[in-house]
Formats: sequence, C-alpha cells, structure tokens
Amino acid sequence: MTTTAVRVDHVGKSFRLYRERNQTIKSAVMRRRTSVHEDFWALRDVSFDVPQGSTFGLIGSNGSGKSTLLKCLANIYYPNEGSIKHFGRIAAMLEVGSGFHTELSGRENIFLNGSILGMSKKEITRKYDEIVDFSGVEKFIDQPVKNYSSGMYVRLGFAIAINVDPDILIVDEVLAVGDSEFQEKCFQKFRDFKAVGKTVILVTHSMGTVKELCDGAAWLNQGVLMSVGASAPTIAEYERSIGHDSGS
Amino acid sequence: MNYLREVFASRELLGNLVSREVKGKYKRTVFGQLWSLANPLALMVIYTFVFGFIFRANPAPGDPSGLNVFALWLLCGLLPWTFFSTVLTLGSGSLVANAGLIQKVYFTRIVLPLSIVGSSAYNWAFEMAVLVIALSIAGGFVLPWIPVLLVVMVLLAAFAAGVALMLSIANVYFRDTEYFLTIVLQIWFYLTPIIYPITLVQKASADAGSLLGTPFTLSGIYQLNPMNHFVTVFRQLMYDNRWPDGVEMLVCLGWAAGSMAVGILVFRRNQRNLAETL
Repeated sequence: MTTTAVRVDHVGKSFRLYRERNQTIKSAVMRRRTSVHEDFWALRDVSFDVPQGSTFGLIGSNGSGKSTLLKCLANIYYPNEGSIKHFGRIAAMLEVGSGFHTELSGRENIFLNGSILGMSKKEITRKYDEIVDFSGVEKFIDQPVKNYSSGMYVRLGFAIAINVDPDILIVDEVLAVGDSEFQEKCFQKFRDFKAVGKTVILVTHSMGTVKELCDGAAWLNQGVLMSVGASAPTIAEYERSIGHDSGS
Repeated sequence: MNYLREVFASRELLGNLVSREVKGKYKRTVFGQLWSLANPLALMVIYTFVFGFIFRANPAPGDPSGLNVFALWLLCGLLPWTFFSTVLTLGSGSLVANAGLIQKVYFTRIVLPLSIVGSSAYNWAFEMAVLVIALSIAGGFVLPWIPVLLVVMVLLAAFAAGVALMLSIANVYFRDTEYFLTIVLQIWFYLTPIIYPITLVQKASADAGSLLGTPFTLSGIYQLNPMNHFVTVFRQLMYDNRWPDGVEMLVCLGWAAGSMAVGILVFRRNQRNLAETL
C-alpha cells in the first residue's frame, strides 16, 4: 500500500457573494453593516487521497472549483469545512513570475523569487546554475526582467519554482505558455519528479496532458467531486458528460 | 510563540524584500540614493525660512552642546517624523499593493509591511548619518551618543511597524484608510513639536490654564502624543548631546512595545483571510 501525500478530507469552501458591498467607513458607521451577502459553496464535501509518488490531475469545466481546491491545497485559502493534510514540503505554482520586480535583473529576481517560494539563500546559490540552465535565458540573466519576452518571463519563473525541490508540487494551468520544446522539458521534469517518489498535482484542461502524465485524476463539477480514481476511466467519464472529446 | 518563530524563519525573505525595495526605488535615476535627502532638505529650507526666519520660533540652544542652528534643530525632529510618516503611508498600502502575490503564493504575510519598515529605515539611517556629520561639523559632539541613538531609532521603528501592521489590515477592509491617513498625518505633524519648540506649548498651556474647567491642560494632552516623546529624546541626544530623560525613554519603550504587540496580534488574527478579502 502506498503512503498518502495529500489527504483531502470533506473539504468545503464557501465564498460570499455580495449583492451590495460598501467597504467604506461611512457605511459601516451609518448603516452598521458593510455588505449584504449570501454564501456560495465553491467546494462541498470533497474527499480524496493523493498517493505519494503519483502524478495527479484535477479536471473539470470552468468554474468547477479546481482552482479553489488548488488554492486550498497551497495554503492560500483556508477551507471552511474539513481539512487538508499534506505530508512533506509543498510548493505551489499558481502563477509563474508573481513577485518579480521588473526593474531588477533576472539574477536578482531568482534570489528574490526563490526566497518568496521558501528557498534559503544557500539553496538558491547551489541551484542557481540549474535554474538558469533550465530557463534558457542565460544570455539575458543580467538584464532587467521587464525587457524579457513573455515566454522568457514564464520560463524563468517556472525554472525557479520547479527547483524549489518540494515533496509535493502543485501546478495550475501554467504550462499553456511557453513553446512546445519548453513544455516537453517541463513534462520531463515531472517524470523525473515521479521517478524520485515525489508527488505532482496539476490542473489542466488538456486531456492529452492528463492521459500522458497522470496516474490518478479527480473530476470536479460545480464544487462537487464527481469521480476519482485512475486517470483513464475518470477522463472517459468526464468526456462522456460533456458529450464530446475536448481533444489532446 | 509559534508565530514569532515562523516570522523569524522568514528573515531571509524579509531581507530580500527589503533589498528589492531599496534597489528598485532609485533604479535608473541619476542621483540614486541622494534623492532620499531631497525631500527632507526641501522641507528644511521651507520650514527654516517660514518658522525660523519669519515667525522666529527660537528654540533654546543645545545644552550642553551649545548648538544654535534652527535648521539642525529642526532636522533632529523632522527626520524621525518623515521616517514615521513614510512607514505608515507605504506600510498601510503594502498588502493591497501586493495583492497579486498574496493570492498566488503562500508565505508569511507579515514580511510585506515589515519590508516597508526595513527599506524606509535604510533610507532614514542614511539621512541620519548625514545629519550626524552636519551636526559634528557645526560643533556638536554627537559621536559618543550614536549607540543610544541607534536604540531609540529601533524603538521608533518598532512603534511605526506596529501601527503600520494595524493600518495595513485596516486598509484591506476599508480602502478609506489610506486617504484618511494622509489627513491624520498632516494634523499629527503640526500637533507634534517638530517645527516649534515644546516650550512654546508649555507657555501657551500655562496662559490658558485648565481647559474648559476640566483638569486637563494643553501640555498634559501633548504628553499623550507618542511622537512628542520620541522627538524630545532625539533632540536631547543629537542636538543637546546628553542622556535622554529617563522617563521619556521609558515612555518611548512602552509605546514601541505596546504598538508592536497589538500590531502583531491584529495581523496574526487577520492574515488567513487576506487572500479572499483582497
């Protein structure tokens, strides 16, 4: 029996839908309220385990709660119900290059961004060459990142994040950017991760990616977990529900 | 305690964010760090002209330093004030300004307002160093007081940090905070004896007697203003060149510790909800 990397236990997350929102002191004082709202459950009673060393895909249509779940996994949101336990160091890549300072050079940003993602200076220094190499921007590393093309920007951000060396890596739809060569490089990195027993959880709309990379998958629909299990049957079920092949 | 340990563990990130602010701020300017002096110098010229020359606010000469230069006397109070007001202004907006980062990456949120304190302190230390040199040239004997001066600077930074932490959270819920703050700071500035000596207040207070029949006096109310005490201590150290009044020091310490404690408490309570509320 494999051990669990992440245990999602009856997780529910609600947001407030505001019919009226006046975040001003005036309304707080004069009307003794700042808003009128109702609760909207973006996730309800979602439970599954992600085994260690697996690559796990989250699939579902837009607005199904995938990203909310991912943010809960990444400690950015806190679930209102249930709990999420992770066993090991977690790194989340929800957006690459967030926290880059555009006036600073690529080199300075590697150190800045690395420390935001939780790496120590020593670690970054050790992995510096690997990061630069992976990103493929070594020629421009001393240029301010505002001069980078969007592809270079993403590649550098991704290279930093992937070198955090987590036990569990959480990836949002970030691979859509970057050319196919770089995507292939990333997939290779995921396979390497898996080979050394690390867990990857990714959200994607590309069923091809899920089929190719993932062992397991969970299908969410409007905040409810529809099915979870091996990737092939889960994808098949999802595709049946939307009535056409969303393509690879 | 756990929370403090977590904050301590992110000191490297804090250092990096501070250097991001410091390096990014004057990048691509010709004068670089010298810009940090421009604002206080301009204020110095204006206030010296208006209050020193026209209104003739005449602060007592430094005792025992014997310094009698209005501009230097002014700067001893003005530089701490500009630091304080910068930390509050930038610190209160620090969470909203980094909303993108907060919504995408997990890290100890408190480093964002604290990095503002750090980068402002860096600029302030630079300004104070220049002031110390100017005071020395003018004949003051400041150098032996530098260790005590550093302690008081840390106290003021802690006081400012605590207030900034509370304001940064308040600003997430009420965006009015930022705008309200600029007005408050303006009033606060004139209510602090920076451009006029406290002796004038004491004189006015003695003339007015107790206010509206209450036991309060004007200078009694002035004692409630923490910045009043900080400015007094800075002047005693830098302009007078003597040991600061023990009571004043204790009051500063109390304000610093209190504001830091409340600030951290408030921040810790609210940091979980930041990503959603922003």
